[in-house]
Amino acid sequence: MRAFVPLPPVICALLLAAGLPASATAQGGKAGVQEFDPRAFPGQMVDDVIVPVPSEVFTVLDKLGSPNWHQEVRKEKPPKTGDRTRLSLLFGVTVAEGFVAVQAEDKESVKDIGRDVIDLATALGLIKSVRPHAQAILDAADKGDWASIRKEFDKTQKTVRDAMDQMKDADLSQCVSLGGWLRGTASVTSVVTKNFSADSAELLNQPMLVEHFLARIERMGRDRREHDAVADIAKGLKTILARMEGAVDGFTRDAVRDIGKVCESLLAEIRNVK
Amino acid sequence: MIFTVTLLRRAALLLAVCLLPVLPVFATIDDAHSFAMEAAIPFVKKGFIVREDYWNGEVKSGQRLMVKHQMFKGNEYAFWIGCPEDDAEFELTVLDEKGVEIALDFTASQYFASMRVNPPRSGTYTVIFSVSSKSSKSLYWALAYGYR
Repeated sequence: MRAFVPLPPVICALLLAAGLPASATAQGGKAGVQEFDPRAFPGQMVDDVIVPVPSEVFTVLDKLGSPNWHQEVRKEKPPKTGDRTRLSLLFGVTVAEGFVAVQAEDKESVKDIGRDVIDLATALGLIKSVRPHAQAILDAADKGDWASIRKEFDKTQKTVRDAMDQMKDADLSQCVSLGGWLRGTASVTSVVTKNFSADSAELLNQPMLVEHFLARIERMGRDRREHDAVADIAKGLKTILARMEGAVDGFTRDAVRDIGKVCESLLAEIRNVK
Repeated sequence: MIFTVTLLRRAALLLAVCLLPVLPVFATIDDAHSFAMEAAIPFVKKGFIVREDYWNGEVKSGQRLMVKHQMFKGNEYAFWIGCPEDDAEFELTVLDEKGVEIALDFTASQYFASMRVNPPRSGTYTVIFSVSSKSSKSLYWALAYGYR
């Protein structure tokens, strides 16, 4: 069961007293079109954000053009470490890399990434629950069954995050999501920069996700929040958020490139095992 | 003394066995998700990819809930809500950042409901939903989504 954050009763009471309809609808006024304010919604907000998998964005990029996904695949093995925070970030990065390899329909890279997933899950002590998915990825790669591989990468990530949540380590689970989002976003910025258009650049309009990550980092235990990689990610996310919020009239190519650079530097930091 | 304890244990066991068939079978959150997945079947046949992650919980009958969700222009999305209550009634819609309803083709059946969205731009959207029942005050729910 997920946690709910009830709306402050005072706000609910004020809204109801003002005679607002029970349903939240467009709110017009003489002063022009008002933005819908979810905080003023007379109901409960589910305090849980689902982070899109990279392929949700990649499919749109495919519809807008023909990106060369082979150029985006990186054949870097994740570094070995015993640092569970870094391992979790690397796990997310590696699964996202899997989505890039699937988009490129690159069998060998998918298999290599499947093996990296096994190594990382072993290091995290989660191999038992991950092995069936990793095996399914390897089997489907032989058949070139890209739809199944996509599904298994999604399942792999969920299985690992669920296992971490069950072990009362939601912070690690967030690190998996963070790593995945950074790698996915780095790929998107790379593709968009190479063939810039307003429509493709708009895919980077994701401030709610960045705010969500920042809020989750803020709620992490002190040790994890002050971890080198996590602290750097928090700083980098603030820069990315400023870029997103500054793109009122759409993203420029420079803004996209800047977001990409920040993502790349954070990915380098994640891989920087001391 | 030992004889009395043994007798009491046997009586308790007998009582439990006798009561077993008359105890109600309680629905779970997993059932709610199963129904949401049942709602997804026709969409999967049309090429939608179902995400593994989903929202779920327990809520007071009729209580409106909302989630914020990132969607991308160019994708079509479908949302499926499930509830394992025989007389469940659903409300499910999506609002854009100005509060305008953009959900399409809402359909509902006994245990689930669905709707589609073609986001007009990439950004944050608000999914609003509720589940109501005349027979239960508290209901399990699950909300899943897919894209194509």
